[in-house]
Amino acid sequence: MAKIIVSTGRGGVGKSTFVALATKYLHPPMLLIDLDPDESLASMLGIDLSSNGKKTISDTLCHIMEQNKASGRTGYDFLPAVLQQSIQSDCIYSSPEFDLITLGTKFTVGCYCAPDAVIKDAIPALAQGYQEVLIDSPAGLEHLNRKVVVDIDDLFVILDPSEKSLKHVERVRAITAALKVGCHHLHLVGNHRFTTETEEHLRNTGEAYLGRIDFDPGVRQRNLEGQSLLDLPGNSPAALSVKGVLLKAGYNIKLGN
Amino acid sequence: MARRIVSTGRGGTGKSTFVALASRFLKPPTLLIDLDPDLSLADMLGADFDREGKRTVSEALYDVIARRKSNISPSITTDELMESLLWSDCLYESRKFDLITLGTKFTEGCYCAPDNLLSRTIPKLARNYVTVVMDSPAGVEHLNRNVMSEVDDMFVLCDPSDKSLKHIARIKEILQQVGTRYNHLYLVGSHEFHEQAEDFLRSSGQVYLGRIDYDPQVEEYNLKGRSLLQLPEDSPALLSVQRILAKAGCI
Repeated sequence: MAKIIVSTGRGGVGKSTFVALATKYLHPPMLLIDLDPDESLASMLGIDLSSNGKKTISDTLCHIMEQNKASGRTGYDFLPAVLQQSIQSDCIYSSPEFDLITLGTKFTVGCYCAPDAVIKDAIPALAQGYQEVLIDSPAGLEHLNRKVVVDIDDLFVILDPSEKSLKHVERVRAITAALKVGCHHLHLVGNHRFTTETEEHLRNTGEAYLGRIDFDPGVRQRNLEGQSLLDLPGNSPAALSVKGVLLKAGYNIKLGN
Repeated sequence: MARRIVSTGRGGTGKSTFVALASRFLKPPTLLIDLDPDLSLADMLGADFDREGKRTVSEALYDVIARRKSNISPSITTDELMESLLWSDCLYESRKFDLITLGTKFTEGCYCAPDNLLSRTIPKLARNYVTVVMDSPAGVEHLNRNVMSEVDDMFVLCDPSDKSLKHIARIKEILQQVGTRYNHLYLVGSHEFHEQAEDFLRSSGQVYLGRIDYDPQVEEYNLKGRSLLQLPEDSPALLSVQRILAKAGCI
């Protein structure tokens, strides 16, 4: 069974950047799951899903529903089987370093419970084929209420320097406890806006604080231009920070990095 | 009918800061609605719900559901009960603005129920105000839910990234497909923009109204959890918001 790793936090703190850079250090085979309907992880990894003939979960789900309507089928009994098959064949982007699945945007009225439920059902079976499953979350809390993963090995909460961040951590704790989401380790990670002085706020929370991601103009430039974060140089401050955080969390870093 | 304004965008771009600062200029009476379960708008405005004995929509809703389960003699429908609770328990009132927050729920499932309740109630609430401003959670899901189906001014806060441009294209597609009508869609740059990056938004084909200037005081107030209403009149962020609202014809 793979280790289940989740990156979460308030908006704009660097959840996806953390996931993208962590792929450089973790051991393959690993599966990345982008749970954000605003799907930015793929482009941060330099991947164009559609040119690779891959679809998002939302697209696949809509497509199957349309087909069902057209063929006059109404029962849902066979849906899970069809879906799981489609995920395997259409939704997994594969590369030597990692595989990637994205939730994707839907263009119909209503919430993302349906595509989220599809991923939730698929995760246990998928996880068997990997060393790590790395989940990137949408901003905020709703994905936790949905219990997309019920048993998390490492929950990394990325924070910005604000009072709101500390309240956010309390809410994450309260929701996971109330919903009985297993969470073996909760780690705090400061984003690049922290200073040595403001970091003190994180050290005094009673939670495990693993350090901050240093400011990195290379990350900013690549995000502005929509380029992959994977070609950052080996001495990139942000990448080295992520490596440091993973080491502190007890990960064996891939050799050569 | 009130002027309906929405602030939306990717995470951390300054949606709530924009709403908090805008509240100082908009035509009263103003109703602010915080749709983010991570409820930060109230804190940014120094509105203490507990002290005023006010509750979030999620708290009131799940309380009603729990009561309904234990009491089998409902004299009014859950809908009516909730609507009256919105007025009595959830509406925070102050001299400058009134405020309703969605709030965090601690039960399994999505926020469709509290969102739907707000969606149904907003048109009625709006009759009592000149301006209604909705602050959104980060991302796109709230747009799929079509919580406010008729909007006058949609402000999209952007950070300097290619992802922001993709975000704009995506939300326009969602708004069209779910049938949200809006009169204006405006782009606003976050404080991370500099001159060169701003061209990025100018050439996007959308109406770009300018950026929120960097303001170390906003950062400091957010760090300490102080109300942004106490920012001095010459705060660069405050002046930027005033300029942008004037350009949009909101003040």
